[in-house]
Amino acid sequence: MEFLAASLRIATPLLFAALGGILSERAGIFAVGLEGMMLAGAFAGVIASQVLGSLGWGLVASVLGGAFVALIVAVATVRFGADQMVTGLAVNILALGLTSFLLRGLFARGEAPIIRVATLKPLPIPVLADIPVVGPLLFQQPPLTYLAGAAVVAVALFLARTRAGLTLRATGENPRAVFAVGADPARVRMGALLACGAMAGLGGAVLSLQQVGTFTDGMTNGRGYIALAAIIVGRWMPLGTFLGCALFGAADALQLRVQGFRLPVSSYVIQMTPYVVALAVLAALGRSARLPAALGVPFLRERR
Amino acid sequence: MTTTDALDTTFMRVLSASATARPFVLALAGVGLALALSGLLVLGSGKSPLAAYGSLASGALGSRDRIAVALNKATPYLLTATGVALCFRAQVINIGGEGQIAVGGLAATWVALALPDAPAGVLPIVAALVGAVAGAAWAALAALVRLTRNVHEVLVTLLMNFIGVLFVSEMLQGELGEPGAGFPQSPLLARAAWLPRLVRETDLHVGILVALAAVVAAHLLLWRTPFGFRLRLRGASAPAAIYSGVSMKRSLLSVMLVAGGLAGLAGALEVLGVHYRLIEGFSSGFGFTAVSIALIGGLNPLGVLPAGLFFAFLETGALAMQRAVGVPSPLVLVIQGLTMVFVLAAVALPAPARRA
Repeated sequence: MEFLAASLRIATPLLFAALGGILSERAGIFAVGLEGMMLAGAFAGVIASQVLGSLGWGLVASVLGGAFVALIVAVATVRFGADQMVTGLAVNILALGLTSFLLRGLFARGEAPIIRVATLKPLPIPVLADIPVVGPLLFQQPPLTYLAGAAVVAVALFLARTRAGLTLRATGENPRAVFAVGADPARVRMGALLACGAMAGLGGAVLSLQQVGTFTDGMTNGRGYIALAAIIVGRWMPLGTFLGCALFGAADALQLRVQGFRLPVSSYVIQMTPYVVALAVLAALGRSARLPAALGVPFLRERR
Repeated sequence: MTTTDALDTTFMRVLSASATARPFVLALAGVGLALALSGLLVLGSGKSPLAAYGSLASGALGSRDRIAVALNKATPYLLTATGVALCFRAQVINIGGEGQIAVGGLAATWVALALPDAPAGVLPIVAALVGAVAGAAWAALAALVRLTRNVHEVLVTLLMNFIGVLFVSEMLQGELGEPGAGFPQSPLLARAAWLPRLVRETDLHVGILVALAAVVAAHLLLWRTPFGFRLRLRGASAPAAIYSGVSMKRSLLSVMLVAGGLAGLAGALEVLGVHYRLIEGFSSGFGFTAVSIALIGGLNPLGVLPAGLFFAFLETGALAMQRAVGVPSPLVLVIQGLTMVFVLAAVALPAPARRA
């Protein structure tokens, strides 16, 4: 029970980032920058909550922070055709530096200040929350956790049932065909990336505004990369990716849980589990994972 | 244009491609833009950018000691980035430098601790070589997952970074750890294992010479040997490489072995020349920095040299800047990230048409 709750808590930020990553990758852009987008979202959320004194503005700022990093990726990769993988790495470094710099530069002289903000409180849903076992687990959660669940359904419906979703998927498979029917693949990719950044920013807000209530340097700590792995485990499908995030959440929760017992292995070995699980699952899926056909291929009109 | 014509064009391009001035100019422009934008940030935080960059420069170049520190810092960067440049040239996106460095440092420490009575002249060499082999093995493991299970090497090498670094921590907690030390670290290595100093009364060790040799060797390998030609051809066009009989799998494995070996060597030299012991987190961030350096160096070993030195001097000066002017040292990460973005975008732009 406690274990399930911990799994859900750990999976929530991953889920936002991974869903955003699906939008980006199904449109044909590798989402390596998820880590930086999450970090920027976490940072902007805390700063805005502190300065403007409202968690609502904090959430808005998280969305904008993530989208800002995504905009850099979008301009570099879509407009200039820069290598997507390495641009992703570059913005991750940039976001790490920028957030650490601004934290010190804006609020203190050289030393990192500790900013405490209120966290989003659990919001029990009447009636449902009273169901034994399931109620406390699923219906006494903070608001962003509900939103993450809704986002899974929303992204799934968007991709499968809407015209815009179809265009987005087509852009990831064959941008020239999209161009031929009169849509602009570059614009689709820009939009998909911005949406990706906004969602990953919310994922960062889950960490900073819902779970911790402060910002520390590099607090995302590789979660963006784990979200990336979850996308592949879920084969670029929202529901599958949800299961992937749940798997990594469970692996991480297991680590917290077994620290209480006296086990023959050290905490470092247990810390390795999510990464080993990710690697093992990816290796097991192996060839059966099919990437969007045009993933990683720049579309530049003048260079066809 | 027929397929054969297209392949011919690719061959011609790869054959005639050599180090031109263009990447160098673009890299300089990227660095300039990044410095200018970061300067605006400094200005925004109420400090003078000129004072900040001034103290950065004097912190990096102000004395013999500072230069020695910077050159020591450059050593693992140059080695790792050279390997990364070879990989990226061949379109093998190996970002596993950090894990390979960590494992290399671990192996070198293990050898140095296991052979305390080995003669002084031999021990550092043996330990460094074992470090290189360990790094190569770690990279080969990633390559095998890539080749047999078809998982993209970016993800494999990335995940193996986390595993490698945690593996080092695990060893430091157990077998290799120093009992009673407050921090996860190995006992101090015997003096016989230390790398000799290059300049008396400074910390500069001989590693920088090894790094320079590696840069020159990689340059010759890439531009003057059939192996280098296969790497360049593989990166320029997979169909052309396959058409001319280059094995995509073998070339991936071999370039990963070379890069892993260089990264492992980098980790070993860092342990044997700087810390004289294995310390938790000693490789932190090295791998990604090496990727930046390789890119800014135009994926060219000789370009890696100035780029690596630039990053090392930047980082050496960063703390001095924070102390003297109060500008936070993470500014250096901002400069690095911005430089990468600018250079990536600029390099992707088509080169101005040249007449044949």
